[in-house]
Amino acid sequence: MTNRPLTHPAHPPAALPPPCPPSPPGQPPLPRTPVLCLQGITKRFGAVEALLDVSVQVHEGEVVGLVGDNAAGKSTLAKVIAGALQPDTGLIELGGEPVQIGSPSSAHALGIATVFQDLALCENLDVTANLFLGRELKRSGLMHDGQMEAHTRSVLHDLRANIPSIHTPLNQLSAGQRQAVAIARTLIGRPRLVVLDEPTSSLSVAQTAEVLTHIERLRDLGLGVIFISHNLTDVRAVADRIEVLRHGQNNGTFGPDAAQSDLIGAITGATRFGGLGG
Amino acid sequence: MTGIANVWELATRNMRQSGIAVAFVAIVALFSVLNSNFLSPGNITNIVLQYSYILILAIGMVLVIIGGHIDLSVGSLVALTGAVAAVVVIKGGQPWWVGVLAAIGVGLLAGAWQGFWVAYVGIPAFIVTLAGMLLFRGLTWVVLDSISLSPFGGTYYQIANGFQNGLLGGMGFDVFTLVIFAIAVVGYAVMQWRSRMAKLRYQQVVESLPLFVVKIVIVAAIVMWFAWQLAHSRGLPNVLILLAILIIGYSVIAQRSVFGRHIYAIGGNLHAAQLSGVKVKTVNFWVMANMGFLSAVAGIVYSSRMNGAQPGAGNMFELDAIAACFIGGAAVTGGVGRVTGAMIGGLIMAVMSNGMQLMGVDQSVQQVVKGLVLLLAVAFDVYNKKRAGVAR
Ligand SMILES: Nc1ncnc2c1ncn2[C@@H]1O[C@H](COP(=O)(O)OP(=O)(O)OP(=O)(O)O)[C@@H](O)[C@H]1O
Ligand SMILES: [Mg+2]
Repeated sequence: MTNRPLTHPAHPPAALPPPCPPSPPGQPPLPRTPVLCLQGITKRFGAVEALLDVSVQVHEGEVVGLVGDNAAGKSTLAKVIAGALQPDTGLIELGGEPVQIGSPSSAHALGIATVFQDLALCENLDVTANLFLGRELKRSGLMHDGQMEAHTRSVLHDLRANIPSIHTPLNQLSAGQRQAVAIARTLIGRPRLVVLDEPTSSLSVAQTAEVLTHIERLRDLGLGVIFISHNLTDVRAVADRIEVLRHGQNNGTFGPDAAQSDLIGAITGATRFGGLGG
Repeated sequence: MTGIANVWELATRNMRQSGIAVAFVAIVALFSVLNSNFLSPGNITNIVLQYSYILILAIGMVLVIIGGHIDLSVGSLVALTGAVAAVVVIKGGQPWWVGVLAAIGVGLLAGAWQGFWVAYVGIPAFIVTLAGMLLFRGLTWVVLDSISLSPFGGTYYQIANGFQNGLLGGMGFDVFTLVIFAIAVVGYAVMQWRSRMAKLRYQQVVESLPLFVVKIVIVAAIVMWFAWQLAHSRGLPNVLILLAILIIGYSVIAQRSVFGRHIYAIGGNLHAAQLSGVKVKTVNFWVMANMGFLSAVAGIVYSSRMNGAQPGAGNMFELDAIAACFIGGAAVTGGVGRVTGAMIGGLIMAVMSNGMQLMGVDQSVQQVVKGLVLLLAVAFDVYNKKRAGVAR
């Protein structure tokens, strides 16, 4: 890897967004620098502006709920953070350092773990194989099964996940158990930040409750968490802060106890924030 | 949860695996009843030699199929690599090993060529290898100048027709063969015991101890009986040694190496593999290149066995190799299959062909039967999967 300048090259220097402030202006200073700070992220697909000048911050041990209507750009933002998509412009800082996330594996190396909306798991492989896919532990050229299995057990235990056997192929697990495997996968390799894209969307009530406790476990482990969802009830249950996206733009920040009507207003566009008028 | 399971549980848990083993035993039993010569030492040796090149091709093919691809060019490549060896050894007067190296070089090159188009250009393997099938067949005619070349003679001929025997003496049978097989049986028992111990340590379900012992004894008895038959015929065929090395080596690659794990991941969910950081292109490239390598090995064995090279050699081999994989439990959609399964699938085809041949069954009927067996095996798979899907 070459030594890159600390700014995003696609971005003209004159239009650089302001660097992440140690604390937001006009508010009491936060005790720590954010794990992740996104500034002015824009991503276009042809004429579609999936993301337009989006800024989000996540701190250690904080769950940030990211809500928005269909096609608001939530998954696109998740993919930008995961290194699966490259933003057209914008600045990404991890722990105060500007970074480039060129690929999913470099995201992993930077301590970012993502559960994609369409569950990037291999149904034909067992739990251990899925947890370590793409980052298998090796011993003298072959896979170190014993150590990978031990790790898997300890991670599932950390999450208090209810999986019958780590040798079960995923096609024999329920949707909720698969989601638990996907979340457990994020814990391999000591991440700082976990992005969960709609982890509860296809789950029953009981399974949703279980996944929400998994998210709380991630927070208790001191990780920064971005929890993307349609479901306001789920988000309110675990999020410390709620960010609203609408048509690819920031449309307000709320506390977990914000009024339902305010949130819905921001999501549907009845209310507009960020100097856009309305 | 108790750590002991009964026979029925184990059998149903591994429905496909045990189903195929049972089918294999049933077919062998059927033919041995129908024809007293079927289980004679000479004929058993014959089955191994006659289908060794299909088995070698099936080893590579099962990896290709697990990765979600297919290779239709292997038959033509068997012909081309055999032709190259023949030109080098018979026409050029070079020593046998130069011919072997030339064939392997050509096989690797052809595999890399197809790997390039599949992995880096993104053309489906079905198309690339269909083109390869025509391309390599045409090149075979060019290389051989449209005539057959023979004989190889000498060491090259011994590759597929030679035996290791008499190394340790014996009275009417070959002790060396028996010793080799005994070592293999002990190795198998030790490995099974160790994996049982590991499973118990993690409180997984295993069969009861008597059942475990019975299983080992049955396998050992069958293997040693097979060895006994070989030892009374001509000893240990060179090809069987080669085949054993390839099967063990590729089983380790498929089950224990990162490369093998990534083949399964790509075949299971390409998108997930990509997002997980699997180097999909590199893996696909080497899967196809490896198929080229194994086609060359099969081409050497086949040309050695035929003691020459013909422009039409290896015709339809690809279909036998593919059928072996699917009968052996590989999934059409990719992501599922085993080297050992493909070997049993190949042996089922081999035993059926040989048995029907001994009984003087017409060629056309043989084809019909083999076609139906392939269809039934895959139908059984589909049925099983549906049932499992409903149960979930
Ligand atoms: N690869 C792509 N190519 C072209 N357009 C895309 C692509 N991915 C997303 N888009 C577009 O970007 C916009 C935002 O999509 P995104 O998937 O981020 O929405 P979302 O908020 O996750 O929606 P949902 O709630 O349905 O998951 C949509 O208009 C979508 O059509
Ligand atoms: Mg989405």
